[in-house]
Amino acid sequence: MSMTPSRYAGCGTSAFWAALFLMVCLIMPPSVSAALTVDVTSPGNTMTNIVQAAPLGNSSRAAALQKAIGANMTLLPFVNVINPNGIPGGGAISGATADGIDFKRFSLANAQLLITTNWNDPSMVELRCFSVAQGSLMFGNRYAVKDGEDALLDVADKFCDDFLEAVIGRGDFFRSSMAFIKTDGARKRDVWSVRPNGRYLHRLTNMQGEALSPSWSPDGRKVIFTHIDKRSHGLGIYDTGSKSTQRIKFPGNTVIGPTYLPDGRVAVSLTDGRNPSIFILGHSLEKQGKLDESQSIDVSPSVDAKGTLMAFTSNRMGGPQIFLKDLRSGSVRRISQYGNYNTDPSISPDGTLIAYARQEGGGHRIYVQDLISGQERQLTFGPGSDEEPAFAPDSYFIAFMSTRNGKKSIYITTRNGGEPKLLPSGAGDAAFPAWSRSMRARE
Amino acid sequence: MNTTLRNGLLLLLTLVLIAGFGCAKKQADSLTPGGEEEELSMTGEERQAAMNISDGIIYFDYDSFSLSAEAKSTLTQKASIIKRFPQLRVIIEGHCDERGTEEYNLALGERRARAAYEYMLNLGVGVGQMEMVSFGKLHPAVSGSGEVAWSKNRRDEFKVSKPK
Repeated sequence: MSMTPSRYAGCGTSAFWAALFLMVCLIMPPSVSAALTVDVTSPGNTMTNIVQAAPLGNSSRAAALQKAIGANMTLLPFVNVINPNGIPGGGAISGATADGIDFKRFSLANAQLLITTNWNDPSMVELRCFSVAQGSLMFGNRYAVKDGEDALLDVADKFCDDFLEAVIGRGDFFRSSMAFIKTDGARKRDVWSVRPNGRYLHRLTNMQGEALSPSWSPDGRKVIFTHIDKRSHGLGIYDTGSKSTQRIKFPGNTVIGPTYLPDGRVAVSLTDGRNPSIFILGHSLEKQGKLDESQSIDVSPSVDAKGTLMAFTSNRMGGPQIFLKDLRSGSVRRISQYGNYNTDPSISPDGTLIAYARQEGGGHRIYVQDLISGQERQLTFGPGSDEEPAFAPDSYFIAFMSTRNGKKSIYITTRNGGEPKLLPSGAGDAAFPAWSRSMRARE
Repeated sequence: MNTTLRNGLLLLLTLVLIAGFGCAKKQADSLTPGGEEEELSMTGEERQAAMNISDGIIYFDYDSFSLSAEAKSTLTQKASIIKRFPQLRVIIEGHCDERGTEEYNLALGERRARAAYEYMLNLGVGVGQMEMVSFGKLHPAVSGSGEVAWSKNRRDEFKVSKPK
């Protein structure tokens, strides 16, 4: 089911629901009265145990909502969802506020966070998150709910994003869109989009040939990508408004790794001379200039949200390594210092980190380097090969392609590591995750 | 030449130059299935030549696009055939093994295709008879891991057509 902005703009009741939602938010603002107890900096070492209390109220939809919230929470690498059956005396509570909860029972089961559901009004559900140790409210909200399963799942996504807002400071993960490449038969790969929890899985393109390396435009209206047919490379452009695809040919033989800059221009590796080099294309896709004049292979540009830093792969010092260009000063410095083969850079939108894939004995592994301290950290450990890391707009989550389950699939981890979680993307190989920076991208 | 004729010619040349410049910059197509270049059927002699050109695959070392002595010998034989059949066109496909990553391998495959292209260009094959395309590691010739498979996948293949 598509959830396009225009569809909602045309909905007669949307203004009513929006007003209602705003009203209840004003009546019941999120409360962050307790110090946060979630350790999101060292997942893997410190998991946060979360449990959901038995729902209060008379809604028959509460169980489905709790199931959706639980499924979302399992996608977070720093969260461990506890089965309420393990709570001494069961997961029942007598009230939706702290006064009605016996936190000791939940503490005995090592739960650190408790989520409560209170649902009496069919059109409104109260969801709260408590710190078990402190017996206090972390945040809570009333959420307007329409009929239908999609509406229920939308509430689960919104609540889980509110949870992330409270613990990592950015709450758009579950409602973000990711473009990726799905294999669809021999020599056929197309661009699809999906949310991180597998919802809104859509095919965007249907072409002869192979699509690679998608990138969303800053406004979420277009996706550009490499397209390879039997005899040439081209730049594919998918328009979410018209749902049409164009293929642009350029002189030369390569169109590799296109990416949008924040101002709507495009960086892409084209061949002009003997080596694929990174060019900047203007808004009409006209060539505006080359990244620099190195006599080497330069590919895979990745730009921060301000458009001031560009990471890329170059073999200018021998094998492929990660470099960073300051687009203001023009200076270039090498980032990857270890290993003979470092590729696929993704700079975090906040410009503080670069993730990349390093070739090691059994395949590639994802590393991240802090641009301020220069320290490098290994995020993934296989098995198989982990490649094509992509930062989320929050600069916290990282999606990547992995062959750990025997086929190419997309997994999600964080900038601090943690057990990667599989992104459900249906049958067929899935690769080249690319997050949209805009909430408009919903195709 | 009178002024009117000269001005007309100048205008025509200007239009041709503008049109040519626009084409050189980029060319947009709607993506429709099919859309391949029309080809003529080959004569028996042309089919034999095409087979001889396609048969000899050349191989590369890991992360390298240098031509070995064997590869150069193979390309020399191909060049002499291609030159004798100017009506044929050769697509040089550059390929890589599975160990590298996709985007860097697309660039490396291009360098492999270009190595063969430039070598045959120096041997006198016309620019109009050759095209290049890199598939990176998208299309391995041999499946499986290990040097035996990898060495067969680091290659240039040669596809021959007879364009209209």
